[in-house]
Amino acid sequence: MNAFGAWSPPTTQAALLRGDWLVFLWTGLAVGAIVYGLILFALLRWRKRDDVLPRQFRRNNRLEIFYTIVPLVLVAVLFGVTYAVERPVESVSQHPDLVVRVVAYRWGWQFTYPAQRITLDSNGSSTGPQMVLPVDRTTRIELTSVDVTHGFWIPAFLFKRDAIPGLLNRFDLSPDRTGTFYGTCSQFCGLGHALMHFSLRVVPDAAFERWAGSAARAS
Amino acid sequence: MSVLRAEPEGAEPRERFDALSWLTTTDHKRIGILYVCTSLFYLCVAGGIAILIRTQLSRPENTFVGAHAYNQLFTLHGTAMIFLMVTPFAFGLANFLIPLQIGAPDMAFPRLNALSFWLFLCGGLVVFSGVLTSGGAAAAGWTAYAPLSVLRVAGGSGQDLWIVGVLMVSIATILTSINFITTVFIYRAPGMTMWRIPIFTWEMVATSLLVLVAFPSLTADLAMLLIDRHLGGHFFDPAGGGNPILYQHLFWFFGHPEVYVMILPYFGVISEIVPVFSRKPIFGYTGLVLAAFAIAGLSMGVWAHHMFTTGAVSNPFFSAVSFLIAVPTGIKFFNWIGTMWGGSISFETPMLFSIGFLINFLIGGITGVMLASPPIDFDAHDSYFVVAHMHYVLGGGSLFAIFAAMFFWWPKMFGVKLDEVLGRWTFWLMLVGFNVTFFPMHLLGLAGMPRRVFTYPDAGPLPLLNAISSSGSYLMLVAIVIFAINVVVTARRRVPVPADPWRANSLEWATSSPPPEYNFLKIPPIRSERPVFDARHPELAAETAR
Repeated sequence: MNAFGAWSPPTTQAALLRGDWLVFLWTGLAVGAIVYGLILFALLRWRKRDDVLPRQFRRNNRLEIFYTIVPLVLVAVLFGVTYAVERPVESVSQHPDLVVRVVAYRWGWQFTYPAQRITLDSNGSSTGPQMVLPVDRTTRIELTSVDVTHGFWIPAFLFKRDAIPGLLNRFDLSPDRTGTFYGTCSQFCGLGHALMHFSLRVVPDAAFERWAGSAARAS
Repeated sequence: MSVLRAEPEGAEPRERFDALSWLTTTDHKRIGILYVCTSLFYLCVAGGIAILIRTQLSRPENTFVGAHAYNQLFTLHGTAMIFLMVTPFAFGLANFLIPLQIGAPDMAFPRLNALSFWLFLCGGLVVFSGVLTSGGAAAAGWTAYAPLSVLRVAGGSGQDLWIVGVLMVSIATILTSINFITTVFIYRAPGMTMWRIPIFTWEMVATSLLVLVAFPSLTADLAMLLIDRHLGGHFFDPAGGGNPILYQHLFWFFGHPEVYVMILPYFGVISEIVPVFSRKPIFGYTGLVLAAFAIAGLSMGVWAHHMFTTGAVSNPFFSAVSFLIAVPTGIKFFNWIGTMWGGSISFETPMLFSIGFLINFLIGGITGVMLASPPIDFDAHDSYFVVAHMHYVLGGGSLFAIFAAMFFWWPKMFGVKLDEVLGRWTFWLMLVGFNVTFFPMHLLGLAGMPRRVFTYPDAGPLPLLNAISSSGSYLMLVAIVIFAINVVVTARRRVPVPADPWRANSLEWATSSPPPEYNFLKIPPIRSERPVFDARHPELAAETAR
C-alpha cells in the first residue's frame, strides 16, 4: 500500500494533482490558523470577569464587507488553480502509445490490450490482475463496467475514475517512474467490494515488449 | 422583570404521565419533544452500529462481522443518522421553538404536524424492519446507487423496506416544512416583524424552503427505483435505454441541499447560544440571514460535485459554485467571532459545545473546499478522506450543536437543568473522542483506503490509524453514557428552573419552564430580535431596538 505517493509523483498527471493538493493544503492551514487564532484570542481576552454588561454593538458594515470580499477573492484564485490543473489532467491524447481496455465486474477486473492481443483477468483472486505499462509513454485507459458502478483507483497516482455500465470513460496515464502500484475498487459494489484489488507495474520499454510477447502467448 | 418571573396563573402542578394524551397530541411542544426523543433513540441505535463498525475495523482482516452484515450496518448507520437523527432532531427542536420564538400559540397545521411525526417514526421502523427479513436489511449504502440497488440480491426485500421507509420520512419532512413556513409567515405576534425573528427561526425558514425544492427529487428517485425493481422499469438500466447517472443526478439534487438541511438549523442553534453566553447581541444579524439564504440558493447548484469522478458532468461549473458556498459560510463564522468579540464570555456546557462546533466544523469546512476542487476529488473521492470530511461536518458540526441545543433548551422543555459537571465531562470526552476517531480518517484516505470496506490489508499505516480511530469511538461511547446518566440524575433530582435560567434573549424565555399548553399568558413588547433582553434591560431597549 502506497502512502500518499504525492512526495514523488509517479505520473506526469500526478505531479499536477499533487500541486493542486499542496496549494489547497497550505491555504487551508493558513485560513485555519487565522480563524482558530481569532477564536482563541476572543475566548481568552473577553472571558467573563465581572457582571458588567459589555458594550452592545451589533454591526460593522465595513468589516462585514471586508470579510465577504476577501474569501470571494480567495476562492476565485483557488478556482483558477483548480482549472489550470484539471484541464491537462483530463485532456486525452489523440495518439496514445498504448490502449488498455478495463472492464470492471462484480467482483474483479479484466484488462485487455487490443493491439497486443492480451487479456488479463482477476479470475476470482482478490489481488487481481497486474496491468503492465511502459514508462515514459502515454497509455489511454478505456473504462467501463458490465453490471454496477465501480471505481478504478490507483492511490499512488492520486487518480480514480468511475466505471459505469453503458458509459465508456477515457483518460490518459503517463507514468514517468518504474515501480509496482496498488489499485482497488473505490465505488461500493456489494459483497466483494473490499476485495476487488488490482496492481499496476511500470517497466522500461524493452521489458514491456518482452512481457507483452509472453503474455500474448499465454492469453 | 415581573413579566419574566411570573408563573402563568393557571400553571398546573406537575401532571401525571398520561400515555394516551401523548399519542394523540397535536401540541407543537409535545410533538417537538416526541421528535427529539425519537431522534435520540435513533441516535443510540445508529451510534451502537457505529461502535460495531469501528470494532470490525479495529484490526486488519478482522472477522468480527462478515461482509454482508457489515454492508447492512453501514447502510443503516448512514440512513439512521441522516434521515432519522440529524434532520428530525432539528425539526423537533424547531417544532418546539418556532411558535415560542415568534409568540404564537401553536403551529399553523397542528394535525398535519402530528401526521408528520408518526410518518417519521414509522418510516424509521420500516427501514429497520429489514433486519427481520431473510435477506437482511438494505445493504446498498444510504445513497442506494442504481444499478446496485436495483439488483434483487442487494438486500432482497430489505431494500424495498428501505425505499418505502425513506419515502415515508421524506414525505413527513416535506409536510413539516410547509407547516414551518406557514407558521412563521402567518402566526407571528404583534411587533414580531420578519427582521426581528430570531436567527434559529430564520434558519428554519431557509431550511424548509430547501426541503421543498430538494426532497421531491428524492421522492421521485426512490419511486423510480421501486418501479425498476418491481414493475419492469428501465430508468437506470442501460440495457433498456436507461442511465445509471440519472439516479445520481436526482439523488444528489436532493442530497446536497440535504447537507444544508442538516447544518442550517444548527447554524441557528449556535447563533442563539453564542450571544447569550457572550452577553452581546448577535453580530451582523442581517448578514447572517442573507448568508443563510445565499447558502440555501447556492446549495441547489452544486449537486454534481459528488460526481466529479463519473466523467459525465461539467466539473468546472459545479466546482465554481461549490467554492462560492465557502463565502457565506465564512460570513457566519466571522459573525460568531464578532459576537464574542468584546463580550463577557462564560463557559457553561451549551457554550462549550458551541465552541466545539466552531473548532470541528472549521476543519470540515476547509476539507469541503478542498473536495470542491475536482483534481483533489480524483484522489479523495470515495476514500476515507471523504468519510472524515462529512463526519467533521455532521458529527463535529451538527452533533455538537445538537448537544449544545439539548443543554441549552432542556430546562425549557422539561423544567429541569442538566448537571453542569457531568455536562463538562460529556463535552471533553466527546471533543477528544471525536477528533481521535475522525482525524486519522483523513490520513487513511490519503493512504489509499476506500470507504465502505469491511476489511483492509495489513499494510502500511492502515492498521495503526484504524486502531487509533476505533479507540476514539469508544471514548465517544463513554461520553454518550455519561449524558444518559445526566438525563436520569437530573430527572430524579427535580429541581425546578425559573422561566429564564440563562438570562437569554428570545421569546421562549418569557414564559414558564416548561411552558403552559397555550404558551404565553403575556407577551413582552417586541422591539428587537431579543425581547427578553430588552425586558430585562429597559434602559438599553431604545438603544438596541431595530
